Amino acid sequence: MADNTSQQLLDMWKRQVEEGTQAWLRMMGQGPAAAAPAMDPQAFWRPFMDQGMAAWSKVMTQGSAPSPDLMAQWKQFLDQWIAAWSRVLEQAMGTDTFAQLMGKQLEGFLNVSAPAKKAAEQQIDASLAGLGLPSRAQVVALARHLAQVEEKIDGLEDKLDRAVRRLNDGGGRPERA
Amino acid sequence: MKDELFTMMGEMPAMSPELLARMREDANRNFLRMKHWSEMVMNPKEPAVGPTPRQLIYRTNKSRLWRYESRRTVRTPLLFVPNLGISRPYIFDLMPKGSFIEHMTAQGFDFFLVDWGVFGEEDNGLTVEDAVTKILPRLARKAVEASGASEMSVLGYCMGAPLSACFVTTHPEFPLKNYVDMAGPIDFAHVGLFGKWLDAKVFDVDKYVDTLGSIPAEMVKMGFKLLKPTMDLNTNLNLWWNLWNPEYVNGFNALNKWANEYLPFPGEFFRHWVKDFYQQNRLIKGELTMAGRRVDLREIRCPVLAVGAKEDNIAPPACVKPLIDVVSTRDKEYVELPGGHISLIAGRGASVHCWPKVASWLAARS
Repeated sequence: MADNTSQQLLDMWKRQVEEGTQAWLRMMGQGPAAAAPAMDPQAFWRPFMDQGMAAWSKVMTQGSAPSPDLMAQWKQFLDQWIAAWSRVLEQAMGTDTFAQLMGKQLEGFLNVSAPAKKAAEQQIDASLAGLGLPSRAQVVALARHLAQVEEKIDGLEDKLDRAVRRLNDGGGRPERA
Repeated sequence: MKDELFTMMGEMPAMSPELLARMREDANRNFLRMKHWSEMVMNPKEPAVGPTPRQLIYRTNKSRLWRYESRRTVRTPLLFVPNLGISRPYIFDLMPKGSFIEHMTAQGFDFFLVDWGVFGEEDNGLTVEDAVTKILPRLARKAVEASGASEMSVLGYCMGAPLSACFVTTHPEFPLKNYVDMAGPIDFAHVGLFGKWLDAKVFDVDKYVDTLGSIPAEMVKMGFKLLKPTMDLNTNLNLWWNLWNPEYVNGFNALNKWANEYLPFPGEFFRHWVKDFYQQNRLIKGELTMAGRRVDLREIRCPVLAVGAKEDNIAPPACVKPLIDVVSTRDKEYVELPGGHISLIAGRGASVHCWPKVASWLAARS
């Protein structure tokens, strides 16, 4: 009976995994209906499915006391399960369909966020102006200005360094700073 | 069913002393797991990162040049150029006995780190060209001056590799001794999922930058998480499994802190990075021009080492290796080491495979 129960449970789980994978692949345009060659979902699940089945059968049939080995096997089982999902997802995300979907999602996000961002900024700017405080844009402009000044000073320092080096290297007219 | 279970239990063999000892050890580990977990939840401690002593040599705008303490027994100093944006550079000096920088300084390298810094909204106008022709040359020159050496090796990691390659090819006056590309994409035709997602047909980078101004850290995080959606699950499972081990927990805390500190991209930098490198692959084609000079990888004439990581999904080996085919030197080597993009340079695997390889290759040529 133990054998039958474990077998039934594993079969059911295996079926679910396979159906889930097929559904995912169909969604990604790589299912059997699509023109692209379909992936073999068994290839992903087989290594850890076999191992899981062996471990499960051992526990259910041998009647031995649970041991720390079981935990290690379970961890290995989960690792392989995650690795298998990772491979499936990687393949699905590598399709043109997924890239197009993601591009559309991002574009949709930008279409919504751009006007919302602008409206929020206008409102905040108006509030800050009412309080006599500088707006974010003004603070950013000031910071940018400071960065530009620093860049100019660094540039002058570079030129000065070069001029000093030339002089030290045996004369010559220093470069115009 | 119940009867059968009782029958099975009745038939259980007596436990051997070995099994008992292992079960006791397992119970002990479970206790430690609970203890460490409660400490992490109830009393989280900020992990100490960046243990190697260092000195600030120069700063310009947000960027810094750091020099790390070492015996300086290797004649040629090393300039390390990491990625701009995305993440913070303390991953290279994460923790004692888990630090690339610590390893290299222990080997006697005079180690200089380019820390690009965290760019704000005011830096949205910064371009790739600015980074390559304004920031990097200045920091590199300061490194040469501080070291007192006549030559310097450059190591570019991740995005730091194409950036530093652009720098060394457009600045022939820089005294380059050796060049190392560590997990840095060169041929963007083989750059994996990011290449697919950032393709001009599906990703309108102009609209993206024009709307958002900069690329927020949250967006960067989303992109990287999507690259490996099972990563968090895997990380947490491994944490639970190793939670009994205080060393593992310390390492996890430090790495987890780093892994959740994403950095934004300056808008114009991102626009150029995506268009020129990902969408048009102009670096390997020799079509880039910076500060009036053509970026020609054939101008790299010094010894070159390119290191790819077998499991790298950010810069797959296929996009790193082509550097070897284009540089003009006979002393060139490509190695493919185990690990992913991060584990190539950080973690236990890195200390076994990558660090010794890079250190010995450079030391032999320095």
